Amino acid sequence: MNRASEGGMILIKVVNKFRIVVSALLLCIASCGDRNDESTSSESQSSDFRVALLTSGPVSDAGWHGSAYEGIKLIEQTLDAKISHQQTNTPAEFDEVLRAYASSNYKLIFAHGFEYQDAAIRVGEQFPEVTIIVSSGGRFSDNVIPLIFELEEGSYMAGVVASRMTKTETIGMVGGVAIPPAEATFTGFEAGALSVNPDVEVLVSWIGSWDDVAMAKEAATTLIRRGADVLIHNTDAASFGVFQAVREARALGEEVWAMGMNRNQNDVAPEVILGSAIIRIPEAFLQLAILWTEGKMPSGEAYYAGGQSGAADYVVNPGLAGKYQPELMAEIDSVRLGIINGLISVPRIGFLERVGGSF
Amino acid sequence: MFESFSIVLFLEAAIRLAVPLAVVALGESITERSGVLNIGIEGSIIAGALCGALAAMEWSSILLGMVFGAIGGGLVAMVFAIFVLGLNSDQIITGTATTLAGLGFTGVIYQARFGTTGSVITLPVLKSLEVPFLRDIPILGPIFFQQSITVYFVYFLVPALWYFLFKTSWGLELRSVGEDPAVAEEAGIRVLFVRFLAILFGGLSAGLAGAHLALDSGTFIENMSGGRGFIAIAVVVLGRWNPVPIVGAAMFFGAASALQFLLQSSGSNLPFPFFLMLPYVLTLIALSGWFGRTKAPGSLALPWPPKSG
Repeated sequence: MNRASEGGMILIKVVNKFRIVVSALLLCIASCGDRNDESTSSESQSSDFRVALLTSGPVSDAGWHGSAYEGIKLIEQTLDAKISHQQTNTPAEFDEVLRAYASSNYKLIFAHGFEYQDAAIRVGEQFPEVTIIVSSGGRFSDNVIPLIFELEEGSYMAGVVASRMTKTETIGMVGGVAIPPAEATFTGFEAGALSVNPDVEVLVSWIGSWDDVAMAKEAATTLIRRGADVLIHNTDAASFGVFQAVREARALGEEVWAMGMNRNQNDVAPEVILGSAIIRIPEAFLQLAILWTEGKMPSGEAYYAGGQSGAADYVVNPGLAGKYQPELMAEIDSVRLGIINGLISVPRIGFLERVGGSF
Repeated sequence: MFESFSIVLFLEAAIRLAVPLAVVALGESITERSGVLNIGIEGSIIAGALCGALAAMEWSSILLGMVFGAIGGGLVAMVFAIFVLGLNSDQIITGTATTLAGLGFTGVIYQARFGTTGSVITLPVLKSLEVPFLRDIPILGPIFFQQSITVYFVYFLVPALWYFLFKTSWGLELRSVGEDPAVAEEAGIRVLFVRFLAILFGGLSAGLAGAHLALDSGTFIENMSGGRGFIAIAVVVLGRWNPVPIVGAAMFFGAASALQFLLQSSGSNLPFPFFLMLPYVLTLIALSGWFGRTKAPGSLALPWPPKSG
């Protein structure tokens, strides 16, 4: 083979490689195009207060991620901030996206989930002027602030209701991934249930995913077949699977109920959801953003959003309020008051750890 | 350890969890038999779920949901085919891109249609169909003959595919293309055309499985395919590219999930992720060739025509 044709072969190889890479890239771009949705739409605003949100799942879950998105929309409307949202798909993207925001003058970044805590600490060290709020985070430093939702308080109240409602003395919980904030809500639920009836059996099933609907449905079905007649969940979009399982069991004539979690989900499946253990994520986000603009952001400590500020609660589904005995309604109110007054101690799982800096 | 009530529960759940995997894996096995490794099948599943959900919502029909779900999966597979067959691009890279594009693109469409924060869509739901008489067999009846229509489709598909692969000349052509496309071409078989049909079949099956996921849970969720495309590829390996063992392998994966749900709900202290891991360990063992001499199709994942140099 002479030199010229050899060169030609190499050229063809290079072109082929290039074609593969380009075709893959084009497809990737097509797939990633949606992640940057809000940054462009808000470009017109003149404000230089920039707030960013990272979620690790779609904000169309009508729950955990969706409320976070509502939170930054609320900040946009109330404080005239410029907002941006990105959905990260893999842990490898956590640092990158945080760094990208920090270096584009986003001074306040909401990293919405426990999973971001280590990346937040790393990026926070590099950008000391940026404040990163880690929802349910476990580690904090001077400018990385865990936003602790005391959802276990709402869950405790849900547990009281579940325990009063169950006819089989068996209730169940379907969880996403067994991380401390999720376990905490279940511990609260169980404690609430046992506080009114120590004989109630509380079953639990983790599905290992936050949005695998089919798995959640199967886990819920298994719990129902094992006798559970009130089911609560702590998942994201997968919760629809739990509600569907309850619907189907009811269609077969079983008296089974579901409960919502994280966001007020009462309207998601109004005919099967007794009520929701909620955290008011948008309001908590706005509160933090206001603190930030006033320069009163807590430094080197966690920010708690619980029953006292009205951030954690249990909301009865108005459509099914008739299923509640009047005494139970009164009991819910007194438990809420007891939690706020500190008369009822809701078990908590402590997972806070300080990183770097000085006390 | 468990009473018979639990065994029925367990097997029912295992079948329900195995069915989408089995449908995807059966389709993928045909694609792989033609020498194409389509790891973009996850993209077909999620596209099938979205198309199925939209169609079922539009016309309030399970059947149309299934049909359009399959079509959606087929369309995504055709995109893969255009790159892999038309441009002879690398199957692994193209497959990865197809998966990413499928997951992203369905999200875009969903958010465009239902708003960024989504709204819960409620679909007609697959009902279990009971087969008269067979359903009354003790224990086995409710397990095998009180299931959704997709389950019966699998019962039909397995013997049909087996017969097609090993007893028809078309099946022989398909396998010869996968083993040695050069020889097949010598024999007058249109290699790319056979591969195109095989990819299309794989895509249709994956789309159908996606529609099943959406119609079984009565809603569409972004990323609801949950990695089933990749698990199905493992199922194909464990099933040695043969329809009958593939269904067994899918059952095995389904059983592992069902078992851990049952163990968790009975308060067992056994570490449940162990059971989720088991099928993958077996797949690795299968890959190492301990289960007999069946090999992967000879030209699997290789380009055609072969790249020079």
